[in-house]
Amino acid sequence: MSDQSDNTSRCPFALDRRRFLQGLGAAGAAAGLSGSAWATSPPETDNAHDVTSAPISTTTQQSHPFHGRHQQGILTPRPATGMVVACDVLAWDRAGLERLLRTLTERIAFLTQGGTYPERDPSYPPADSGILGPTIAPDALTVTVSLGASLFDERFGLTSAKPKHLQRMTGFPNDALDPTRCHGDLSLQICANTHDTIIHALRDIIKHTPGLLMVRWKQEGTVPVVPPSHDTPTPSARNYLGFRDGTANPSTDDDDLMNALVWSGTDPGEPDWTHGGSYQVVRIIRNFVERWDRAPLGEQEAIFGRRKDSGAPLSGGSEYDAPDYANDADGKITPLDAHIRLANPRTPGFEKHRILRRPFNYSNGVEANGQLDMGLLFIVYQADLEAGFITVQNRLNGEPLEEYIKPVGGGYFFTLPGAVDDRDFLGRPLLKATATGI
Amino acid sequence: MSRRSLLFAASAFGLMTLQTPAQADVAPDALVEPVAEYKLYVLDNLDQFVSHTEKFTQAVEHGHLQRAQALYAPTRVYYERIEPIAELFADLDASIDAREDDYENGVEDPDFTGFHRLEYGLFKERTTQGFTSYAKRLMTDVNDLESRVQGLTFPPAKVVGGAAALMEEVAATKVSGEEDRYSHTDLWDFQGNVDGSQKIFELFKPLVAEEDPAFVQRVEKNFAAVEATLAHYRREADNPEAGFVSYEKVSQADRRAFVGPVTVLAEDLSTLRGKLGL
Repeated sequence: MSDQSDNTSRCPFALDRRRFLQGLGAAGAAAGLSGSAWATSPPETDNAHDVTSAPISTTTQQSHPFHGRHQQGILTPRPATGMVVACDVLAWDRAGLERLLRTLTERIAFLTQGGTYPERDPSYPPADSGILGPTIAPDALTVTVSLGASLFDERFGLTSAKPKHLQRMTGFPNDALDPTRCHGDLSLQICANTHDTIIHALRDIIKHTPGLLMVRWKQEGTVPVVPPSHDTPTPSARNYLGFRDGTANPSTDDDDLMNALVWSGTDPGEPDWTHGGSYQVVRIIRNFVERWDRAPLGEQEAIFGRRKDSGAPLSGGSEYDAPDYANDADGKITPLDAHIRLANPRTPGFEKHRILRRPFNYSNGVEANGQLDMGLLFIVYQADLEAGFITVQNRLNGEPLEEYIKPVGGGYFFTLPGAVDDRDFLGRPLLKATATGI
Repeated sequence: MSRRSLLFAASAFGLMTLQTPAQADVAPDALVEPVAEYKLYVLDNLDQFVSHTEKFTQAVEHGHLQRAQALYAPTRVYYERIEPIAELFADLDASIDAREDDYENGVEDPDFTGFHRLEYGLFKERTTQGFTSYAKRLMTDVNDLESRVQGLTFPPAKVVGGAAALMEEVAATKVSGEEDRYSHTDLWDFQGNVDGSQKIFELFKPLVAEEDPAFVQRVEKNFAAVEATLAHYRREADNPEAGFVSYEKVSQADRRAFVGPVTVLAEDLSTLRGKLGL
């Protein structure tokens, strides 16, 4: 899906850049590189690099095609940074909503492929924030548009077309929801290799949607990067509790599985326009990290049901081996209330409850008690919200992990099907399905 | 499709979607009259501001709590209308109109003076006791402001840019209700900012109307939308003097209804300088 090729011809310092790439052994040429080479100091660059020189990335030209049956940002491999922005829609009629959806489509199509902004007379505000310069690189940017249940109220005549399971998120027993960080008419999930790329995309979108969209809350996050590995599968990224997260995700290479678990289309109760879309759940889950760091390792591992260092299940093997519960009915090896065992008991028939996790870690600031405000920007996708997240979370209620976590925000959204070509726009099937008088 | 051509297509697409603004061919002397008109507007409002501040500060000094409370919002309106000019004097703007958030020690900060220091006393502590010195200082500052503005040559770019600056004020501090958090008289200030912005737009409109009628139409439509929502919260429909209800009474839906037209006005009016070549 992704174009990983470097385009040195676009780089004004092509020679230096090539030399830099050779030094790094990057861009897929690292086949023979042993693991230890990555432990050496940063590559020597013989061209001048001052303290204020921009840091160098070899992945700025990575891009994901915008058009397709599904939006990007769901099965797309997760880059290092991400953000969820929940918005209220200010447009007050269908024409305004259509203008918003068309504008979002145009901006996302441009931003995710990269290009050059027009120059303007200096007495005007510039066409762009300029934080990435006049020509922007795609940097693996994806922007994923989803709709909240509140958009299906009386304002736009969409009520009859609401996805079957879409609803306003309600609190679970361990939640302490902050109303200023919950819900929204529309969510934007913005992901890219670097943080400045997602900030740039957000500011571009805000600049182009005055009077149509108002930011309600946003949460940014990151995932720790790992060096490339050529003989073992890339491990799952770690969360701020130090555990690998997402190991048990269904395989995104398996189309049939994705059609069953992630994409809307198999449930005859769903409106046709939803086909190719997905339910998005966002949860801002605070982690009490100081307390966690004072918990014994054995207890931490029992709470998750995995080894902390390797991510392997307590029943043995390596990260991607399935846990063995069949020979552990009493939970002597993997406690019955371990997080992974509650979330997926691996019993016959449970497959339909699996969800696709795509989380980021967040770090916001400091609480009044001097403890760090950080945790998990939990994002999951599923074809059926009830069978997916809601069922799984209800199974997790009361789990021992709750002592160390507190969900404080988020919302439920429905991710629109993709825009199939440049004549299409996100949300067109929904507007068509609800058009009157034709 | 090769990567190069993809990028090329994408950039061409971007060019098409960002409209290139039209620029009116405005002769520099065409600006003289509206700028002079605007100075008259500012001086007239300053005149009113001084006399209202006299009554307001007298009420505080004489310990008339209710009267001082009642005069607080109607006095501020004149300042809010002319903020683009008043703000040119940063020292006075701070001592007249700063909010407690501007100081590390908040309300207790010894440098915190002016309207919002008095607002805290009148509406939160509900007293005039101990506020005489703040009242006297405010009067001195307001008189100082008037004499400084009288001697000021109005820079056209500041005047024209003021239309957008006032809408930025509304977008940043009025919609949220943080400007007058104790008196909840935000809608008075809101109207003052809108009046001031609209005045500037009206004065310079003839210079852009022919070049960009769609722009003028859009700005007028959005001013009308803001005015219509404001009118909904007037105490007396036919009497502007009666002012507005408490901002606490403004529904979440209406606060949201303000954000749309206010943001579009801020975006549109931010191009007014460009249209006039300033």
